[in-house]
Amino acid sequence: MDTDRHWLAHLLGRRLVFVMGKGGVGKTTVSIALAMAAARAAKRVLLVEVGDCDAVGRIFDEQELPGSPRRLFDNIWGARVNPRAELEAYIHTHVAPAFIARRITRSRLFDYLLDAAPGLKEIMSLGRIWRWVVGKDDPLKQRFDLVIVDAPATGHALSLLRLPRQLIAMIRFGPLVAQMKEVLGMLENHEQTCLVLVTLPEELPVNETIEFYPVAANTLNMPVAATFINMVFPAPFNPEEISCIRAMLEETMGSPHDPCRILLETARRDIDQRTVQNIYMDQIRSHAEAGGHMVEIPFCYTNDLSLNDIRRIATSWPTTGGPGAIS
Amino acid sequence: MADNRRTRGNIMKSPGFAGCLDHAKIVICCGSGGVGKTTISSAIGLQGALSGRKTIILTIDPAKRLADALGLASFSTDIQQVPTDSMLAAGGPVSPARLDVLMLDAKNTFDSLIRKYATEDMVQRILVNRYYQYLSNNMAGSHEYMAMEKLHEIYHQGDYDLIVLDTPPSRRALDFLDAPQRILNLLGHEFFRKWFKPYLNAGRWGVRFLNMFASPFLVMMAKLIGKQALTDFAGFLQLWNDVLFDGFSRRAEAVKQLLAGKQTCFLAVATPQRLPMAEAVFLFERIMKNRMAFGGFVINRVHGPDLVLQKKYHPRDMAAACGGIIPSDFLPRLETGYENYRTLVQNDLKSLEGLRKEVGDNAKIVPLLFSEKEISGLADLYALSRQLN
Repeated sequence: MDTDRHWLAHLLGRRLVFVMGKGGVGKTTVSIALAMAAARAAKRVLLVEVGDCDAVGRIFDEQELPGSPRRLFDNIWGARVNPRAELEAYIHTHVAPAFIARRITRSRLFDYLLDAAPGLKEIMSLGRIWRWVVGKDDPLKQRFDLVIVDAPATGHALSLLRLPRQLIAMIRFGPLVAQMKEVLGMLENHEQTCLVLVTLPEELPVNETIEFYPVAANTLNMPVAATFINMVFPAPFNPEEISCIRAMLEETMGSPHDPCRILLETARRDIDQRTVQNIYMDQIRSHAEAGGHMVEIPFCYTNDLSLNDIRRIATSWPTTGGPGAIS
Repeated sequence: MADNRRTRGNIMKSPGFAGCLDHAKIVICCGSGGVGKTTISSAIGLQGALSGRKTIILTIDPAKRLADALGLASFSTDIQQVPTDSMLAAGGPVSPARLDVLMLDAKNTFDSLIRKYATEDMVQRILVNRYYQYLSNNMAGSHEYMAMEKLHEIYHQGDYDLIVLDTPPSRRALDFLDAPQRILNLLGHEFFRKWFKPYLNAGRWGVRFLNMFASPFLVMMAKLIGKQALTDFAGFLQLWNDVLFDGFSRRAEAVKQLLAGKQTCFLAVATPQRLPMAEAVFLFERIMKNRMAFGGFVINRVHGPDLVLQKKYHPRDMAAACGGIIPSDFLPRLETGYENYRTLVQNDLKSLEGLRKEVGDNAKIVPLLFSEKEISGLADLYALSRQLN
């Protein structure tokens, strides 16, 4: 199918992509790989991190991403949303005498407010992302072609994306609402914005992903462009060969140190693990319509994923074929 | 890297890992998401019940498979008992103690707290307050707070010899330590009450006249987020102040003491990957700094050196040794598989060594071997719990 081959071009043709998933499934890996694929297609990309986590920065050998976009490499830029700084800036633009604004932002109340006021951090984060997407207050006057958000774990990400609707319903008027209406317009624009889900071929991540599909469609009104199934074990043997290996294992009665036995035993482990993974991959693939294009990411034999590992993932994807694509 | 702070913590006094599990009345499993906290909590709970202690596992994770493994239809927000006969079948002693499981639910816990501390007529006013509804579900720390609250409640009911708590997967896995105090600080702070005073009286004078009495700050806030939202918030604050503050304060203090007490033992759960490991070390440092009892690290899914670490078994030699026994077109693939497995084993060993170096010799580190099969019954959990000793 045509859309199948061009899934990546479709995805990267958007302006804003939220990468979502349960904690620990590889959201950061997918975010960076997508950014690399976009840069390969000659796009200017901004990778955004939300929340307390600093995984993107760590992979790029930096402690933390800065609050305003900094070039990481190629055409890839990185930034981290800082809700406190956003609220400060917001108050400074909306409160008339500057000294009052200063008094507010310097008072201890300000920090309490930021923690206790429902959704305030989320509003500030969304506002920031929106301004990056539309290119407001960009010092270089050079808009990003694509903004990729490495979202917090599903629960937090969901409350983030639900907020504009809730807020508009709750408050109805005022400058914040006006801004949230613009944000909502951007989020629900299916041509411009989409979700990408990341999961593992394991019970909980798969269930959470399947449960999230209707939420994306109905509650958020946002399309899921692709689902990435991370850490898929290799399957080097076909079913006949697998039975052959199992049969040989039963015959090889030699000592546990026998090289043949060890080789076969190792293969059996891989086969068993992949068999379990297949159950969950089948489950998620049965939701292909809701989950967009399904992309398997092979297991990486490392405990410390490097940029090169991620680059290998990105280059295994089809080139986008768009203008400027380098194969 | 070990500084004084670490050696001064409770770790020297703690009688090792098995000791912590044997003597603690509360075991708290912390660590980042996806490392297997719920499974390990269940294994510890099972071990507790099998050793004759009446045990409850508090979890936040609705894992169907694990519920199946425990012989339950699903986890529920009511206390459920694990069937004794299946515990016997798993290899337990003749008369295991009762093992219960409870799934935590933030909203329920908050609601029942309100019911506990508020008078009958106030309860409804609080429960319908929009700010309260938002807070009980969404506020940062509300899930952590709820877990602590439930822990306190069950501990003081005194029905169990052992409580195993599987903590919520917060971005910062130790948020729950601060949760009681944080919520208290936020809502009980005099700043709030002072600033919001005009709004507290809004019911009497009407929202219309508010600005006359409000500070410039509140006027601005009202402009930004709307008077109704502020009134809701103020309404909640007032209820909080009048009805709930004292009860919650006492509660938060008690929870703090409970966590710092001798009866509580913390375990840091991780897998050998870099981020979960870093999180576990962070956790360890925090627990030491707070002078709480640290039981040890449980490193889950470690690829064991059982088959592969002997140097003489180089993949190429092995394949050569198998010519004629194994079909030759299998050999390159088997060799690759073996090579990969060896990489996993070496990586995990390196991770464990790195952890040992970072936390010093006194901290207990317990590796749990990776299993390619899922936990599918109490027997599997039992086998896992044997590794914890």
